[in-house]
Amino acid sequence: MVRVTLDHVSKFFGKVKAVVNLYLEIRDGEFVALLGPSGCGKTTTLLMIAGIYKPTKGRILFDDEDVTDLPPKDRNIGMVFQSYALYPHMTVYENIAFPLRLKKVPKNEIDRKVKEVAKLLQIDHLLDRKPSQLSGGQQQRVALGRALVKEPDVLLLDEPLSNLDAKLRILMRAELKRLQKELKITTVYVTHDQVEAMSMADKIAVMNAGRLQQYAEPHDLYNKPANLFVAGFIGAPPMNFIEGSIREVDGNYFFDAGVFTLKLSNELGELIASKSTDVVLGIRPEHAKISLIERPNAIKGAIYVTEPLGRDMVVNVKVGNIIIKVLTEPNPALTPGKTVWLVISEDKMHFFDKSTEKAIV
Amino acid sequence: MSKRRWLAVGRKALPFIFLTPLFIMISLSWVAPLFLTVYLGFTNLNIKNFLAFIRDFFTPRVKITMENFKNIFLGQDPYIADVLKTTILYVTSVLLINVFYSLILSISIAYFVRNEIISMILRVAWLLPRITPGIIYALLWLWFIDPTYGLMNSFLSLFGVPKAWLPKSWLLDIPYSQILMIIVNGYVGASFGMIVYTAAIKSIPPDLINAALVDGASEFQVARRIIIPLLRWPMLFVTAWQTMSLLASYEYILMIWGAGGGGGYAGIARAAGVMVWSLYSYSKAFAEYQYGYAAAISLILVVIGLGLIALYFKIFGFRRLMEPSRIEV
Amino acid sequence: MTPPSYKRGRRSISTRRVMALLRSLAKYLIVVIVAVIPIIPILLMYGWLLVQSFSSRVVLGLVPSGLTIENWKFLWSPVKMGLKTYPNIWPITLNTLFVALGEAALVVLVSTMAGYALSRMNFRGRVGLMQFIIALHAFPSVILLIALFIILNKLGLYGKGYLTLMGIMLIKAGLDIPMASWIIKGFFDSIPWDIEWAALVDGCTRWRAWRSVIVPLILPGIGAISIFSFLSGWSEFLLVFTYVKDETYYTLPVLIYHLIGEFRFINWGMLAAIGLFYAIPTLIFFSTSQKLLLRIYVGGIKR
Repeated sequence: MVRVTLDHVSKFFGKVKAVVNLYLEIRDGEFVALLGPSGCGKTTTLLMIAGIYKPTKGRILFDDEDVTDLPPKDRNIGMVFQSYALYPHMTVYENIAFPLRLKKVPKNEIDRKVKEVAKLLQIDHLLDRKPSQLSGGQQQRVALGRALVKEPDVLLLDEPLSNLDAKLRILMRAELKRLQKELKITTVYVTHDQVEAMSMADKIAVMNAGRLQQYAEPHDLYNKPANLFVAGFIGAPPMNFIEGSIREVDGNYFFDAGVFTLKLSNELGELIASKSTDVVLGIRPEHAKISLIERPNAIKGAIYVTEPLGRDMVVNVKVGNIIIKVLTEPNPALTPGKTVWLVISEDKMHFFDKSTEKAIV
Repeated sequence: MSKRRWLAVGRKALPFIFLTPLFIMISLSWVAPLFLTVYLGFTNLNIKNFLAFIRDFFTPRVKITMENFKNIFLGQDPYIADVLKTTILYVTSVLLINVFYSLILSISIAYFVRNEIISMILRVAWLLPRITPGIIYALLWLWFIDPTYGLMNSFLSLFGVPKAWLPKSWLLDIPYSQILMIIVNGYVGASFGMIVYTAAIKSIPPDLINAALVDGASEFQVARRIIIPLLRWPMLFVTAWQTMSLLASYEYILMIWGAGGGGGYAGIARAAGVMVWSLYSYSKAFAEYQYGYAAAISLILVVIGLGLIALYFKIFGFRRLMEPSRIEV
Repeated sequence: MTPPSYKRGRRSISTRRVMALLRSLAKYLIVVIVAVIPIIPILLMYGWLLVQSFSSRVVLGLVPSGLTIENWKFLWSPVKMGLKTYPNIWPITLNTLFVALGEAALVVLVSTMAGYALSRMNFRGRVGLMQFIIALHAFPSVILLIALFIILNKLGLYGKGYLTLMGIMLIKAGLDIPMASWIIKGFFDSIPWDIEWAALVDGCTRWRAWRSVIVPLILPGIGAISIFSFLSGWSEFLLVFTYVKDETYYTLPVLIYHLIGEFRFINWGMLAAIGLFYAIPTLIFFSTSQKLLLRIYVGGIKR
């Protein structure tokens, strides 16, 4: 169990900048998710921690030791690949035993450890099978077993659940989280699924186009996104973004989006205006309240289409030429065409600078 | 017939129209010679009754006889044992190179070397012997082994081979001539294995290699424990294919010892101990004009060849013969 | 599982670094020993070919001295050696071209038709025929030379100058056609049925579809096969050597064979020049269409 530090790490493939100037500190025993869309550099980062890629710039440290030049063999890490990468010509037992055999661990010791891990992951009845004879879920656990059997300092997982069916995925999420907490191994988990990251990780590093966007605990990412990208990536359905500007009229502050205007409290207005006047307003669908009766300082619009989801429903409200999505309880009274008013409380409003895309509030 | 029927007949006949030229060519170059060789093996055809034979295949001047096979199997031909020994030496030695050396070669080029450009350069370099026209390849070797102008001896001295071990003539001094024979064909054969193995290695999912690295394997251990076990079928394929190929190959030996010897290739090859079975058959036919006997000698190879092919189909099945470099467990 | 206790007793980081470096060095050492050093002689040979053909004398095996075009005299005047005059190089070159081009034309024609039938048409014995073709591929043709000799005689083509060369061209084409058909079949296979159907729906007759849609798509395959069979015919030695005894009808490889015997101890320069001259088409084709040819060699290895 170690601290992993990525010290201003960059990776370039010729002209392509896969990872740019990444600084990350992962604490001992922490479960950190690398989250982002495909191509954002998260897998590349993982492979650099593993030692399969060498950083173009920067260093990688395990505790305080610089491991940048060390090949994977010497880093004592365990890794689960997206494709599981089980050795097809070996049995499950041999697959799991492989790392120990390479370390020249005595035979009876190997036997003990393999059986221990197999029992932990509930695959002890599969030890004589070959990978081609296993189901996806079973293969995944064998891959996990192989990674864990050498008692690694760091556990790396590259989208391990993406090849499983939806139900199994949800089950395994809980399993993995519990396992990690029990073993207390520093874990780095790559995924593009924000629900997965939010539910499993202690901290999430959101990446886009090779750069770190924000590194925080899940609830901070949700409540205090650092920029437009993070705000739009976290949360489903995604946050609504409306462009507009801050205007001051006689000491009163307004957010003017063209199709509607909202009055802002003086505190809020002053704060935003001091930073920028061209802004983007962000509202999560679950934070907007729909009302069939006119309300003060509300956005007036008409229901465009509704999407019933069973437990809740998504109402698309057309305001002028923009659509705002609202998540609310199922309500048969909300039908397309009806005029509604959207009320948003100020503490749920997010404002971003239009040009830098950074959060202001 | 009505137009309809013409079309129907036409449609059915179309494949055969397209295939007829193929059938004709195959009959000319493969089928007819095959049957003829079988027949000839049992005759006493030679320069004396040759013309009569051409005029009439069933002329009484050509007798059916088992004499040829008596010569081969009952030791009536005193030289056949030497030929057999040379052939076995040749085939096994070059086979070792083609199957095993090329394995290490492809692992080096396709796995150890990371840089794509260097890998490509090495691959092309190793392909040169195969794609060069045979006579040029022979010419180059004849120059290389020349004691005065060539670089063979100097090259070997560079690597610490003592002068006493270097021959006066690579062409004529046994066993150096045999070593030369093996090396010359080895270079060409190694590229076959290299092509097959490299394709197979490239088809291994990179995650498998990465997983082994993470598990703690050094690159050598990855080669030994992951790559090689996965290459079992390609290795078997290369062995099978090359065995057949080597039994029947004699072109390079003919060219080098023939052109280099000055005199007839047969005499030189015999003196240098490089007379392999297929070359023996060739020389019996075209240097000594004993066509019947030569056919019998090559008939042995034909039988072995057909047997091996039947074996391949049995072991490999049709599919694998088409995709020898797919890795399978 | 208890927290790891292995940590004590593990090597320090600097030791690990050094060992990693050593392993890396060992790896490259093997590459050099196995892949680089053995290929040096071959590279030296090609270097020599180039250098020697333009020098009057070569010192130390590879260092040229006296750049000259003397060695290339054979291009414009006949080669004399004592009392014997060897034939002019150009008719011989023409003979070689005759065989090579003839083979290429035949092979392309026959294999395209056969490849199409094997790929697109359904007929009884299709699988059997495919197996037969693969079997032929495995069967070495050189042991049939004696029988082919008889056949050549029987057809009245032996010793008849250009007719003999033509016979050789036919035989050689026949030897290469099975593999060529297989490769062309592969190219046809890679064209999805949809495209043909789309052309038919668009209003083409089957013939028009073939001409305007399919043929353009397999043109690279045809190109590859024609280059391959041209080179095959160009380098063919054994058949001509065995069946052609009249110098006038020699092809380049056979001429070179005889010249080596005569000139080996006297005029390496000329030999190198002729060799280089002969190798030019091979070098040109190989360097320009390398990727394509590599595909062929991977698909249809003979030896």
